[in-house]
Amino acid sequence: MNRLKDTHKETIVSLSKLKKGQKGKVVFLHTEDKSLRRRLLDMGITEGVLVKVKKIAPLGDPIDIELRGYELCIRKKDLDDIDVEVMS
Amino acid sequence: MRIALVGNQNSGKTTLFNLLTGTNQKVGNWPGVTIERKVGIIRSTDYELIDLPGIYSLSPYSLEENISRQFLLNEKVDLILNVIDSTSIERSLYLTTQLLELKIPVIIALNMSDIADKRGIKVHLETLEKRLDTTIVSISALKKTNVFNLIQYIKMGDYRKNIHDKFFDHILEDRISKLETLIDHPQKRFIAIKLIEKDPLFDLYQSDEVTSIIEETSLKYQRDMEQVIADERYRTIENIRDEAIEVKKDLLTWTDRLDNIFLNRYLAIPIFILVMFLVYYLAAGAVGGATVDFVGSYMEKLSHWLDITLTNLNASDWSKSLVIDGLIAGVGAILSFLPQLIMLFLLISILETTGYMSRIAFFLDRIFQKVGLSGKSLIPFIIGSGCSVPAIMSARTINDETEKKMTIMLTPFIPCSAKLPIITLFAGYFFRDYAGLASASLYFFAIFVILLSAFLMKKILFKGKTSSFILELPDYKVPSIRYIIYDVTQKALAFIERAGSVILLASLIIWFLISFSWNFNYGVDPNESILAGIGNIFSWVFYPMLGTFSWGATVSAFQGLVAKEQVVASMAIIAGYSEETSEGLLIFGSAQFSFFTAASAYAFMVFNLFSAPCFGAIGAMRQELGTTKRMWKAVLFQTGIAWVLGVLVFQIGRLIEVIL
Repeated sequence: MNRLKDTHKETIVSLSKLKKGQKGKVVFLHTEDKSLRRRLLDMGITEGVLVKVKKIAPLGDPIDIELRGYELCIRKKDLDDIDVEVMS
Repeated sequence: MRIALVGNQNSGKTTLFNLLTGTNQKVGNWPGVTIERKVGIIRSTDYELIDLPGIYSLSPYSLEENISRQFLLNEKVDLILNVIDSTSIERSLYLTTQLLELKIPVIIALNMSDIADKRGIKVHLETLEKRLDTTIVSISALKKTNVFNLIQYIKMGDYRKNIHDKFFDHILEDRISKLETLIDHPQKRFIAIKLIEKDPLFDLYQSDEVTSIIEETSLKYQRDMEQVIADERYRTIENIRDEAIEVKKDLLTWTDRLDNIFLNRYLAIPIFILVMFLVYYLAAGAVGGATVDFVGSYMEKLSHWLDITLTNLNASDWSKSLVIDGLIAGVGAILSFLPQLIMLFLLISILETTGYMSRIAFFLDRIFQKVGLSGKSLIPFIIGSGCSVPAIMSARTINDETEKKMTIMLTPFIPCSAKLPIITLFAGYFFRDYAGLASASLYFFAIFVILLSAFLMKKILFKGKTSSFILELPDYKVPSIRYIIYDVTQKALAFIERAGSVILLASLIIWFLISFSWNFNYGVDPNESILAGIGNIFSWVFYPMLGTFSWGATVSAFQGLVAKEQVVASMAIIAGYSEETSEGLLIFGSAQFSFFTAASAYAFMVFNLFSAPCFGAIGAMRQELGTTKRMWKAVLFQTGIAWVLGVLVFQIGRLIEVIL
């Protein structure tokens, strides 16, 4: 993981930092809470998956992510723990 | 034969279940929990179909998933019918890969195939069938397409039975096989995978040998094994997807277009306010005003006709009074609200089925997060405008314990349909032209009180906890008219049934208490009756919000515990006994209730809205909160808040009245 981070230093950000319409590839899940972590995995947030910030709630939080052909709303706080490689 | 119906939430599972079984259904609960368990017999067969809860995985962390998992593992299931939403096959197949590991034949019903077609999603059924080695039937439960074929497949036993269940890389597959030899259970493979995931519920299969294999595997991957397994499953699914599914890229769907409006930064909240306002305005205001008087006039005719008929039959005075002043006055008062309740049920059902409800949860989450709730609490709050009982039960989907408890305690604050008669009665009389506005204002007042209470609870009772919120945002759907009619009929029938049972009984008791004095003389002045006696003992409680001592209002408010609409039934019976002092609605024209002003009417309405809910809802709270002590806390908390609010409203209202 550390090796990966060093080589792509600029492009790895937490998912909560992506702007509306931006795409990213999930590279690491820091989520510590076991049940939340499993839930994110079950919903398809696994390593290498392509995600896109689709909609942002009118009050700025939560954020609606498009992945695997469907949409999932997650709070910014929880997106902080998901590292993505910025694609566009 | 026993068939389990399994699928994600929003996959159309319930629609398919209803279609397959028709009216041949039994609804109960899963043992020990309040999650609904539906069993039916598939049409033209004797096969039993069990509707498992909507789930995304068979993980050990949620109640629904555990129920499904226990059922599939321990009960004898001959076939799994896996419903998949064709518009999100990729995510749905994740559950499928887990089902396939259970060594039970699986038929996949690829539902909503019509919507997928429109969206430009092309599925190569044969490739998909070959890759999963299961039988796949493309259907649309909503349009009833191909459902007959599905039944035929099941009936003929004409489905693939050699199960494909190898989804992992060489190393994992090797370790799984090794573990399988050490497990003594028909579901070896499933358990082996769970052991690698370090699933706490399968600890009893641990042995030194098992532990050493698991440790060695963990060391090999140097990662969280739950994640390795999930990654591998999705990797396999991605391969299958690439072979079997074609998607036209980046199509701007109707959902996106609608969301540009409904989730617009500036418009979302005004639209929400407008929608909820309309729901209440239509139900309590427009329809309410027109229909209550209409049905009421028929009730009057009925009671007049009964009076004549009973007199002709030489019925005694007291029996005539029992029927006319007790039954017709009480039950009739309630039934006259039926049309507007149907309107309310209809509108809520539409909100639920179109997908707008999830949007509300999405954009209000930020506000609810601040007070320790989440957008998910919103779903019970909206269902609660129909009835608190299913609403309290729906709070089960909230994963966080604290948040769940808070939601359960706060849900009864939402004006439920049984409170609508109270609102319509008071608002209709005292706010005439603004009745709809006054009714709608109560809904927003309730949300405000909920937020405030939650904030206080968070500060005092449950400190410093934050929860998370994960919600699938489904596509907008044109609601199924058939489903809505079914849903509304069910709810309306339940209301009529309550009027014919609980309200009827309560009305009889009230009639008895008001007709007799303490020494059981019949036909006394109501002010001398047992009912008045009871009311007078407690009327001081309501003095600060009514500005007078009223035994009638006191006993009526108490009866809200039986059912909220009973408050109106009771007032109607009591009013029937006192002389009319003025023209207008019977209840407020009577000597008993003529003291009401706009301020005390609004205050009394507020008290009845927020005080302890009916016994049904209290029972649901008891069940969901887990202990009787917690239930009492909730009831006292609610009634306390209600009293304070009622007094505040009256005192402020009186000031305004003086100034005006």
